[in-house]
Amino acid sequence: MTSVTQVPPYRSRTRFQHFTIQSAPLLLALIILAGMTGLYVGLFYRQLSRFPGNFELTSVVNTSMPLVFAAVGQSIVVLTRGLDLSVGGMIDLTNSLAATHMHAGAGSMLVWSLLVLLVGAAGGAINGVLVAYGRLQPILVTLATLSIYQGLAIKTLPAPGGSVPLEYTKILANPNDPTGLGFVALIVVIWLVFRRTRLGVDIFAIGNDEEAARAHGVRVRATKIGAYVLSGTFAAAGGLFLAATTTSGDATSGDVFVLTSIAAVVLGGISFFGGRGSAIGTVAGAFILTLLINVLFFASIDPLYQSFFQGLFLVVAILLGTLIRRLVGMRG
Amino acid sequence: MTAGAETITPEPRWRKLLASLTPDRRRVLYAFGAAALVFAVGELLHPGFGSTASIKAILVIASFVGFVAAGQTLVILVGGIDLSVPWVLNGAAILLVTSSLGRDGRAAQAVLLTLALGLLTGLVNGLGIAYLAVPAVVMTLGMNGIMEGLTLGVSKGLTCGSCASYAPKAVQDVVRSNVLGVPADLFLWLAVAVAMTFLLSATTFGRRIYAIGNNNTAAFLAGINVRLMTVVLYMLSGLFAALGGIVLVAYGGQATLGMGDPYLFQSIAAAVIGGVSILGGRGHYLGTLAGSITLVALVSVLLAENMPDWGRSVVYGGAILVILLAYGRERQQL
Repeated sequence: MTSVTQVPPYRSRTRFQHFTIQSAPLLLALIILAGMTGLYVGLFYRQLSRFPGNFELTSVVNTSMPLVFAAVGQSIVVLTRGLDLSVGGMIDLTNSLAATHMHAGAGSMLVWSLLVLLVGAAGGAINGVLVAYGRLQPILVTLATLSIYQGLAIKTLPAPGGSVPLEYTKILANPNDPTGLGFVALIVVIWLVFRRTRLGVDIFAIGNDEEAARAHGVRVRATKIGAYVLSGTFAAAGGLFLAATTTSGDATSGDVFVLTSIAAVVLGGISFFGGRGSAIGTVAGAFILTLLINVLFFASIDPLYQSFFQGLFLVVAILLGTLIRRLVGMRG
Repeated sequence: MTAGAETITPEPRWRKLLASLTPDRRRVLYAFGAAALVFAVGELLHPGFGSTASIKAILVIASFVGFVAAGQTLVILVGGIDLSVPWVLNGAAILLVTSSLGRDGRAAQAVLLTLALGLLTGLVNGLGIAYLAVPAVVMTLGMNGIMEGLTLGVSKGLTCGSCASYAPKAVQDVVRSNVLGVPADLFLWLAVAVAMTFLLSATTFGRRIYAIGNNNTAAFLAGINVRLMTVVLYMLSGLFAALGGIVLVAYGGQATLGMGDPYLFQSIAAAVIGGVSILGGRGHYLGTLAGSITLVALVSVLLAENMPDWGRSVVYGGAILVILLAYGRERQQL
């Protein structure tokens, strides 16, 4: 990287210091989320003279879900010091597959959901093998596979259309109640367990120091492949939720997730230098990004300026994070 | 001939020559080889693909990638990346037509204004990255959003009165007229290539870029002002993105929304196919130039094949992977 890094002399830290160092960015993400929610509620009240209710909560949750999944997958790869640009293509592909093949009936919905997740895992495995065994840089591998998955998506669904069964929408993106929060809770539980599994610990280890991890017997290649498989699978889940929310398919609708998933990861406080951060922060980051769009809407800001404020917000949020990290004395 | 006679045959000269090159220079040769291969395959499939007229047309399209990739190469050489290319380019293109209103009298000032916009965005990127320690990916991603919002907002979604203006005739001529039977744009690209090669290989500035890219702490300790260099390089990247916008709008006549989108990934891919290491410190602009030609020629072959959209996308990605696997691999660890 371009900034000059200075390695501080080793000093032992107390348990509390360790906790703050690992959790400060997560806390910051949660604080930003709380602030953004407050801003949203305030602006909403000013405009409509009532507080946002069940409908608004449901809408925010359902809009956020595809990004939540894509970004959680992205964070697992970023934790290994990698980057997965192919999530966009994978969402394109899985969204198109779901919209063209899934039919009403529990059997079809179940089978196709599993198949789509398998496609995601396979796509991730291709990325992982190329990174681990091909010894290619992650950003380049996933740049190339992004193009490949986008192509396959267009092959699957040449023009926007297709449909997913109504029941499927009700299960994944219930338009009446915020049942999507159940999936968020599920992700948090899965993460807390995963973080303590062999694979989870190894991912953090190679993100912190690949050579040291190798010396300690971590199977670096297998771990990397595992991380990309998870990223592909999560992206596929994001594609399914996107299909459920929009009730149809579009072979290009996933492209935006390349950049938004990175933004959510960054806002969630995961370090780009690997090995630091929590997917819970990423979930918060995804919700922050969705709420920001709502805040801009209720602040009566011309939608054309939307990306301006998103970009500005991203940079300012990172600056805040850097400032806080400097204060608690942690690297990158 | 017996087996014994073979062993005393001296090594062919080209092999000796190749072995005498540094790995970085060898990669530049491979990149030109890849470009030649694509043209050869194109000629085989479509006689006439390798004709002078067709090569000229492909080179002109490749030059657009080449301009943008020049800036991208500079920041990649110090281990950075510039994701703000798409909307800096697009904003620049729109600024050129709206500030010149298509009049030749205003062409010079419009071009200068547009290049200044590129420098300014690069300055902000560089300051954020070098002095505020924002990761390059985040800073330039944010800048891309900022430029997108500003471009859309100020031009009211390209519906403003002057947005439909054409690029001034004088600017169009620089790109489209023929000089000695060669599109003038290619002379511009040649000038950029010579300047970049001179800058990187023959100046202290260039040596400093490689020093920072190889080890920025060592470069800092050796007395290089790493932060200032970083700012300057991002400014140059912004400048080249703006130049790309000017040339593109001059070629097409009018500005459109989203015209910069393909150039982000293409500029990175061109540099990497040309042997520039994404980790910084290794590579030459000549490689990037060959990479741009390879990419555009590849797309042209696929178009000539009447390959459907999806197939082009798949083959394109696959070809990048094959090229990377052929000579873009990192060294074996331990």
